[in-house]
Amino acid sequence: MTSAQLYYLLNLLIYAGIDIIACLGLSQQFGVAGVTNFGFIIFQAAGAYTAAILSLPNDSANGGFQSYLAGWNLPFPVPWIGAAIVGGLVALPFTFVVGRRLRGDFAAVGLLVTAVMFNLLVTNYRPFLNGAAGLSLVPAPLQGEYDPSGAGYQWAYAAIALVLAAGAYLLVRRVTESPYGRSLRAMRDNDLVADSLGKNLLAQRTSVLVLGGALAGLSGGILVGYITTWAPGAWGYAETIVLFAAVIIGGAGSHRGAVLGAILVPVGFEEATRYIPSTFGPPGFVDDLQWVAIGLLVVIFLWFRPQGVLPERRRIIGATAVPSNTPNEDVVSLAGPLHASRGAATAGSALPAADPAPRATASPAAADGGAVLRTVDLARDFGGVHAVAGVSIEVHRGTLTGLIGPNGAGKSTLLGMLAGTIPVTSGQVIYQGRDVTGLPAYRRARLGLVRTFQLASEFKRLTVMENLLSAVPSHRGDSLAGALRGRRCWRRDEEAAIARARVLLERFGLSSYADTYGGDLSGGQRRLTEIMRVLMTEPAMLLLDEPMAGVHPRLARQIGAQLLDLCAEGMTILMVEHELAIMDEFCDPVIMMAEGTVLATGTMTDLRARAEVVEAYLVG
Amino acid sequence: MSLFLASFGFGLVTAAVLAIAAVGFTMQFAVTDVLNLAFGAVMIASAFVAYALNQAGVNVWIGLLAAAAAGAAGSVLLNQGIYTPFQRRGSAPITMVIVSLGMTLIIEFGLQAIVGGTNVSYTMSQGPTVRAGGLVLTAVQFVIIGLAIVVMAAVHGLLRYTKLGKAMRATSANRSLARNCGIRTGRIVTVTWAITGALCGIAGTVFAINNGSFGATSADLFLVVILAAVFLGGPGSAYGAMLGAVIIGLATEISAAYITPSYKDVIAFAILLIMMVLRPGGLLGAAVS
Repeated sequence: MTSAQLYYLLNLLIYAGIDIIACLGLSQQFGVAGVTNFGFIIFQAAGAYTAAILSLPNDSANGGFQSYLAGWNLPFPVPWIGAAIVGGLVALPFTFVVGRRLRGDFAAVGLLVTAVMFNLLVTNYRPFLNGAAGLSLVPAPLQGEYDPSGAGYQWAYAAIALVLAAGAYLLVRRVTESPYGRSLRAMRDNDLVADSLGKNLLAQRTSVLVLGGALAGLSGGILVGYITTWAPGAWGYAETIVLFAAVIIGGAGSHRGAVLGAILVPVGFEEATRYIPSTFGPPGFVDDLQWVAIGLLVVIFLWFRPQGVLPERRRIIGATAVPSNTPNEDVVSLAGPLHASRGAATAGSALPAADPAPRATASPAAADGGAVLRTVDLARDFGGVHAVAGVSIEVHRGTLTGLIGPNGAGKSTLLGMLAGTIPVTSGQVIYQGRDVTGLPAYRRARLGLVRTFQLASEFKRLTVMENLLSAVPSHRGDSLAGALRGRRCWRRDEEAAIARARVLLERFGLSSYADTYGGDLSGGQRRLTEIMRVLMTEPAMLLLDEPMAGVHPRLARQIGAQLLDLCAEGMTILMVEHELAIMDEFCDPVIMMAEGTVLATGTMTDLRARAEVVEAYLVG
Repeated sequence: MSLFLASFGFGLVTAAVLAIAAVGFTMQFAVTDVLNLAFGAVMIASAFVAYALNQAGVNVWIGLLAAAAAGAAGSVLLNQGIYTPFQRRGSAPITMVIVSLGMTLIIEFGLQAIVGGTNVSYTMSQGPTVRAGGLVLTAVQFVIIGLAIVVMAAVHGLLRYTKLGKAMRATSANRSLARNCGIRTGRIVTVTWAITGALCGIAGTVFAINNGSFGATSADLFLVVILAAVFLGGPGSAYGAMLGAVIIGLATEISAAYITPSYKDVIAFAILLIMMVLRPGGLLGAAVS
């Protein structure tokens, strides 16, 4: 091998290391957490600029031909550490765009705009980072001690870049494979449902932005130390698309996919086109075709293989479960075994194991006249429509309270306001004697007030077992810190959760589906999964939105019987349901709504005897 | 003439170009639910159709009509060939955005591979300087403003007073319900792409005229300004886009006169981001909860 070939090879290795780190960061955001960060390149740019101005001498050096901040001449590895830190910090303001309840594609456009805006600002404001010309003569790491052009130095640089890439790989794997990573994937699949199960979406999105930003910043630092120059032209918004192409082609959400994508697209593809003679076509022709090819690759892969070359792998947890072929029809009662498992699961906590509904401590509810949940003049307007207009209800401990009414009566809106998924226009929600009107959905879920959804809401790319595990409250592995501390920190919690999930799966006859993706289930199985999942949150009160819709009548009756068993154990349930036969059999009392108000409350027999109720249903 | 009036005049011209583009973009989004980021690329590709004719000796205003036709044809093709197949598969909105970014690269750089990387200009006269109501603009600039007013009036007439406009609004509000009511939504969507594509072609050409010179990637930045106008008015609202275009057009040009021209687009982007955070439904849209 000639020395020119050797240098070229080392150059490729260094670029591979840099691009792998960046792609891992992006894959963590886009593939795992579902945050489509079209501004990703800014983080790399921030890291590169930071490393540059930390290692450059004061800007009066070199004849003062460039102007920039800092210029502190700091020794290696401080600039790289600074690059990672600044890359992470720059991510914080972005939270305002993605943390909001903004459509994913709107947020992505917002981030794209931000990327373009930052580039314009840096280009036009010269004193900050030397404007359009950018920074040059950036000192290579330790260039005083070693000769950066020597083969030994190049070898070392490549080795360090690859070691850092390996470190980045282990870091993102540790996060993704933890319960926290599972929560991130749950958020990706359905953020509204994740919120209702107690996930703090803002905190989760912030953490992936910061983690991905720090990795991107580090990649920028390594890059600028190698090429010793950095200018706005190097981080146009289109560079982000190259990284997206890499992640999509490699396999979004798969770490090995991110590595493969980094090697295939930014390194392999761009290098391959280097061998096309530049005399081919007019000036810039090859570069143009290269961009066209990147665009084509993205579109073609999204069409033919959206999961990428190395798809996200399925996490098999439940395969070793108790073999059970219990068909759905044979579901009997939840009371016995479920009760036992709840006791076991909560034994480790401070709460008494015998308490069937752990967080429903008796005293506050008693103080509120026995009502677990109470509303005062609750109202919600959509534009000019009063969907819910001044509703005051009470739901008492241990009851399976029904909520009926014609379409458009405001049932689902009311349920959404109780759970915190729909903001309240006016009025109050009092839960266990506490005003929770201002609490977001995830905080209410953590207090034990949890809802299900009218439409199927399974996490599609989580297995049934993972769907269940994702709902476990106060899991030690379900935080960034817990995830970083590793499996040892959370293994015990995980095992307990898996044991509980297996009991539930057994009871509901879905053990053999434990490793099936949520998206591959039948309609009835999805409803069952949703009910099991909400039970995993150890709720004190359930808000069920048509849990039996689309379920075989026989199975619906069995679900009803199980809900009654849960109530007998002390749980409180408020259930929206259209099927009056179900109401007749299971619900007492029943609240009847029409046109946004409560028409009547009582047993179904009472309600049937009242003319206005019958009329509302017939007319509505 | 005062600095304010001068910048106000330029602001009106920018607003006119922006309004044509923003209304096209927002109607595309309303009816088809695609945030078509390739809109800017189609604009410039259409402007180059007018340029090719212009080079062959055709008047640029006739070229404008050809650009409108090219924009319509290109947009229909883009929708039929790419977006509709993806949507039929149930691709998420975010996938559509990524696809449209991929299409942007393909169209823009494919165009650049053909026409080369240097900027070009139409061969045309700017016409005499005209004074009206304290404004001093060239005849061409007045024509652009007039053209925008005509286009806005036509869009208003279409949406309010024609059966097609009603069907478009119905499709936008709820596509499956519209279909069940007997509206041939597939055809409405195609017609919408044709109409908005024509607007896109017109916008591309007047953008190129107003800019003086243009290249294959010239609309990159302008696309973001279009997005700002669209989001300011409320995504999907044609009247919102008109309002947004006027506000953004005036704000960028007046700030360019009083602060510095380097940052005029930054003003537009800042407005866009503030709107997204505070009121994602836009000025004329409902506040999205």
